[in-house]
Amino acid sequence: MFPWSMKARPAVLAIAAFAALCQSSVAQQAQQKTLPRTKDGKPDLQGIWQARGSAAYDLQDHAAGAGAPAGKGVVEGGAIPYLPAMAAKKQENFKNRQTADPLGKCFMPGVPRIMYLDHPFQIFQTPEHIAITFEWSQVYRLLYLSGKPPLHDIAEFWMGDSRARWEGDTLVVEVTGQNDKTWFDMAGNFHSEALGVTERYTPLDADTIQYEATMKDPKTFTKPWKISVPLVRQKNVTRLMEYQCQAEAEEANGAFERDPRTWYPKPGSTPSPLGAPAAMQVGSPAVVKSGANLHRTADGKPDMTGLYQSNAGGANYGLEKHGRDEFTPATRGVVIDPADGSLPYQAWARAERINRELPYRGYDDPTAHCFVAGVPRSMYVPSPMQILQPPGYVVLLFERMSWRIIPLNGRAHIPDNQRLWQGDSVGHWDGDTLVVDTTNLNGKAWLNEVGDVVSHAEHVVERFTPTDVGKINYRATVTDPIVYTRPWTIEIPLSRQADELLEVACHEDNGDLQNLKNVRDEYRAQQKKEK
Amino acid sequence: MRIRSMSGILVMVTLMAGTVLAHHSFTAEFDQNKPVKLTGKVTEMKFSNPHSWIYIDVETNGKVVNWALETGSANALIRRGWKRTDLPPGTVLVVDGWQARNGSATANVSTVTFTDGKRLFAGSSNESAPTK
Repeated sequence: MFPWSMKARPAVLAIAAFAALCQSSVAQQAQQKTLPRTKDGKPDLQGIWQARGSAAYDLQDHAAGAGAPAGKGVVEGGAIPYLPAMAAKKQENFKNRQTADPLGKCFMPGVPRIMYLDHPFQIFQTPEHIAITFEWSQVYRLLYLSGKPPLHDIAEFWMGDSRARWEGDTLVVEVTGQNDKTWFDMAGNFHSEALGVTERYTPLDADTIQYEATMKDPKTFTKPWKISVPLVRQKNVTRLMEYQCQAEAEEANGAFERDPRTWYPKPGSTPSPLGAPAAMQVGSPAVVKSGANLHRTADGKPDMTGLYQSNAGGANYGLEKHGRDEFTPATRGVVIDPADGSLPYQAWARAERINRELPYRGYDDPTAHCFVAGVPRSMYVPSPMQILQPPGYVVLLFERMSWRIIPLNGRAHIPDNQRLWQGDSVGHWDGDTLVVDTTNLNGKAWLNEVGDVVSHAEHVVERFTPTDVGKINYRATVTDPIVYTRPWTIEIPLSRQADELLEVACHEDNGDLQNLKNVRDEYRAQQKKEK
Repeated sequence: MRIRSMSGILVMVTLMAGTVLAHHSFTAEFDQNKPVKLTGKVTEMKFSNPHSWIYIDVETNGKVVNWALETGSANALIRRGWKRTDLPPGTVLVVDGWQARNGSATANVSTVTFTDGKRLFAGSSNESAPTK
């Protein structure tokens, strides 16, 4: 049977045994060779991903139900090991799930739930940070690779605090500081504020990540338990779009009303009339010079990475200079073109701007509903932002839980009929200045709380010029022929802080909106009576 | 309040002194013609953004009313070293502010003072929210 001599057999057997032993690791090595890698040799996880399977509905084996497919569970061992009293609470959650699921109220999903929602997300990678931006309501996670603990007392955050490290080719993330208000799925699986999550992201090949999360919560479970979900690269998706959960809900139920003058027209409706063609700018502001001693990235571009605070002089309460008016703070005025600091409004838009400042219009400001601030307002709301420069992109993460992704590959803007709160941004370097061109805005945003106006015709060109280490001169030129007679430019300095982002759970904590609605409703009732 | 927190308060007073900042939702919700001065015991402190809320029981002629007081953002407090547990129930506060237009037991706070005269923080939606 054996073509080999007896002498040779032990050696052959040993080789065969060794080969069998090594088979799995050889296969792994082969995979490891094919994994895309970053310059520092880590697996390159950058790209757009989405979970496969039905974990979003129920982490455990589940039968089909209204709006939910049947599916196989993802919990190792099959069942989540609840403490007896907690198992009863889970049953109650399940019974009330149609109304009790926090996700149904558009509250942030927490970790790990955000990772297996039925929406794509994008991973960005630098040696110091990993950012994950989610299509679902512009939520993001910032994972710190610094090895340091959080700078501040993080407790009861919806998305917690994430500290990451590499173990070989696996990214391991410790998530702490979450509140007790999120669920794991639509079936009512839940946890307490004592939850600690350890995530493991292991790339299996260039297009698959094995995502594992181990949940530890002695107040809810008898022992730690683990889920395992495959994440699949979305090769046909070129950019994340938006799903603004709460904004869509309020538009559908009438709480947030369409303004036909500024919003992108519905199919079949008449668009707003454009004003006179925007005149050319005369006497444009002097060009800003970049600093001489800037920190630079490996590819020689200015390194702007860090947490920044804008010195906006009250731009969120008015772009033009004005004194303190009742309870509106004074503003410095950030308009540098036109030179007199006034916005070149068309008459109808100036009248609208004045009207928006009245108390009953407060409810109409999208940010009072905690919707995304848009462009350029995101840059000067009174909350910090994190700038990241992963390969091929500049990414802006705003503490008020929203993001902007700026690709530097020179791609064309998305089709005109696709309209977004944050628009479609494409960037390029002009010397040391990052120039960002943004179109496809939906016209729903206000420029600040007093209601400076923009429409869906808004086209923004931003210039980020680093003038010194940790200092950026930010300019935005807005062209909007529905609202203005000519383009205008604002200028705001941004300065880097030795700080880390916190979380603003604006919608989840929104206590003001009902009061603003009451003021609006009282006004409308009064108007009706007078008629 | 513990000693550690008091130093935090002093820093805060320096940073936020004289800032009665608000925005048009303030104009909509609160009435500048209805200034209120309240003394009461903390029942709850809710850390949230862009406003935190302090709830105090105020006794007037034997009747106790729980007031909701709108203050600055949680993140501004966290960045100054505050913890959620730093204003325990029972702490006595004196509060100046403006009452809600609808006349409910709700107010926007301009100053919060402890019984020994030390001030807590002030202001509603703070424009610059300095981080350092």
